[in-house]
Amino acid sequence: MNAHPTREEDFDLYALGALEGDEKQAIETHIAQCADCAHKLAAARGRMALLSLAAPRVEPSSAVKRRLLAQVRADTEGDVRIGTSPVNSRAMQSRVRGSGFFTGWRTAILVPALTVLVIATAWLWNQNRLLNIEVAHLGDMVKTQQRGLVAMRDAVDFMESHDTVTVALAPQPGQPQGAAHVMYNTKMGMLMYEGEIAPAPAAKSYELWVIPTDGKPINAGVFNPVTGRADHWMMKMPPGVAPRMFAVTLEPQGGMPQPTGPMILIGHA
Amino acid sequence: MERIAQRDQTALAALYDRYAGMLSSVLNRILRDTQAAEEILQDIFFQLWRNPSRFDAARGSLPGWLMVIARNRAISRLRHRNPAAGGELSEAAAVSTVNIETAAAQQQLIGRVKGALENLPAEQRAAIELAYFEGMSHSEIAQRTGDPLGTVKTRLRSAVESLKRALHAQAASNR
Repeated sequence: MNAHPTREEDFDLYALGALEGDEKQAIETHIAQCADCAHKLAAARGRMALLSLAAPRVEPSSAVKRRLLAQVRADTEGDVRIGTSPVNSRAMQSRVRGSGFFTGWRTAILVPALTVLVIATAWLWNQNRLLNIEVAHLGDMVKTQQRGLVAMRDAVDFMESHDTVTVALAPQPGQPQGAAHVMYNTKMGMLMYEGEIAPAPAAKSYELWVIPTDGKPINAGVFNPVTGRADHWMMKMPPGVAPRMFAVTLEPQGGMPQPTGPMILIGHA
Repeated sequence: MERIAQRDQTALAALYDRYAGMLSSVLNRILRDTQAAEEILQDIFFQLWRNPSRFDAARGSLPGWLMVIARNRAISRLRHRNPAAGGELSEAAAVSTVNIETAAAQQQLIGRVKGALENLPAEQRAAIELAYFEGMSHSEIAQRTGDPLGTVKTRLRSAVESLKRALHAQAASNR
């Protein structure tokens, strides 16, 4: 250890920053090894610091305190963002570095969350597509049922109507046996056939005709009966037609525009 | 300081009210730049808020420690503007036993310090003000004033002895 400073004022001069070169180095070397002199230097610093009181009084603006307290509040809340000091800048830089969207714990949460979100979206999209198909199918069913209900209501109205006329069709000698009847309503313009007749020969079909009082026979349906099963259908008649009789003929398969074959069943209106 | 360590913002505000004027004065005297002085002033108190444990009450008074920090920060800023003038100053330990924790005590001590400086010969006062408020060394003062280095050293030493006597008397009267 080098020698203690010979004069007490050396500590004050060092505290002032006036010493330089060897004098300064000697003090620094000594106080690094001598606690007593280090304390003397600290006291000299405190003493010389009192010279600050000789400075002309300058009060800081009120904005300084306001900024300081805002800075303190932000620091307390863990978000230093106010102020202009280097400390603030460093804090801000630190926070900016740590604020990357896909960094650290956020990545650990966001990536699985986004994956789940994508899968859920795809599943929901497919569910929506299937539901739309089902809705369309149900819509078709509803329309079919509505049409059926309308047809049934029309049938009921047709059968209950006082204007509906029933005509029995009788088999003709030497022809396939069977029985049928036709109901018709000229006001409603509707006709219904129901009957049971022996199956048609090969390459042949039966064809129902409306024979009006005036004009050519009108095709009212081509059918091929199946053994043991009755045939029935409803159809609209051309408006203004007044039936004179109804007939079932045997025609080439698929029917003809006008009757060409033998009459199998006949009924007079 | 205990309340500040417990994150009491009102304690920091009270401490600021007590010492901000004193620190602002020396910062402005050294820097002659209000904006720079206010930046350092705010930073000193914010550092005190962030690291209250840096002040060791067993080693001296808080205002004395704050004045050392303020002066060192200001000289550091001053020398940063003029790198050829020297390096950074460190915030070394400082002990002050004088009582300036009340406004009345501050005013009393300010009067004593100003009186002690005014009682110095003009050359001594000028030399010590260049050293303290401008951070100049012996040779820098000699260069500034044009006086021989030995003369400057003698003036500064005499000034320091006179101030020590005056401030020792002040400290003794406050104990």
